[in-house]
Amino acid sequence: MTKTYDYLFKLLLIGDSGVGKTSVLFRFSEDAFNTTFISTIGIDFKIRTIEMDGKRIKLQIWDTAGQERFRTITTAYYRGAMGIILVYDVTDAKTFENIKNWIRNIEENASADVEKILLGNKCELEDRRQVTKERGERLAVEHGIKFLETSAKTGANVEEAFLTLARDIKTKTEKKLEASNPPKGGAIQLKSVEQNRKPSSWFSKCSLL
Amino acid sequence: METETKPAQKSGPFSLKELENHVDEGRNKLLISCIRCPSKILNAGIAEYKDIEFALPKMTLRKDRKDENIEEEILNQYWMVADKFAFENIGFSNAVSGIQYLICADCEIGPIGWYDKSTQFCYVSVSRVNYRS
Repeated sequence: MTKTYDYLFKLLLIGDSGVGKTSVLFRFSEDAFNTTFISTIGIDFKIRTIEMDGKRIKLQIWDTAGQERFRTITTAYYRGAMGIILVYDVTDAKTFENIKNWIRNIEENASADVEKILLGNKCELEDRRQVTKERGERLAVEHGIKFLETSAKTGANVEEAFLTLARDIKTKTEKKLEASNPPKGGAIQLKSVEQNRKPSSWFSKCSLL
Repeated sequence: METETKPAQKSGPFSLKELENHVDEGRNKLLISCIRCPSKILNAGIAEYKDIEFALPKMTLRKDRKDENIEEEILNQYWMVADKFAFENIGFSNAVSGIQYLICADCEIGPIGWYDKSTQFCYVSVSRVNYRS
């Protein structure tokens, strides 16, 4: 069967329990259809398909599903992740304070070039807000990452968040491809793609070890 | 362009007549979507029709019910894809004895099918999804 997509990006949802990480994945309703069977065994990951600049992109998304309570998120969980969605709850200052700890956890465990986005969720609950939008923005600027306030309840900015992160990963991926395969004109370019699939020198062979 | 037609809910196995309407050269003629929400699951022409018997836990067991037993339903007709990334949108449950169950990525209704780790094939029950052209 032919491949039905151009890119596959692996994403993680990270943040304290109760910030609404799981609900940012519900596009058409506030809540999931909660069956005993599925909620007992839990969810491993989800696959989403998006289109961008005529490319089909598959997003494979993991949610920590409560593991964060035990601070057991380690290298194994971060392995292969290309993007991380950091989520806090604007009505709970503690979850915002913890973002710094999550960023440290990511720096210690994830690949150095993983793309990140910070989301201040539940922004529809204006009267219960404890974290201003400015504080969220400032933290994001400090860490050089993008920031959005979202509402999983109204759907505000949720799709935008996934698209923004996917676009950043796509740009990075394409830059890497270009760097390892500088365009030299049609025919030659095609040839070099073929060569790129094989280790080009003893050095790159060794670096695989 | 995709036209949003109101999905007709499918229940029970396909009759011979329905098979004719749904299967073209062994593959799904129509787009496959969720029975509860508008989530798109598989594009037309992507999945292969398979007569294969497999029991799935019932989908209607809500959290608030009293009964502790997980009732199963034996199903014989499935849509199969050999690559999990063939799905437009899908959720995978954690594994139970080597089986991962498939759910709607958006509303989490399920199980709508299962994933066989040994072959890496995914199967979606023909009666637990909706269809649209």
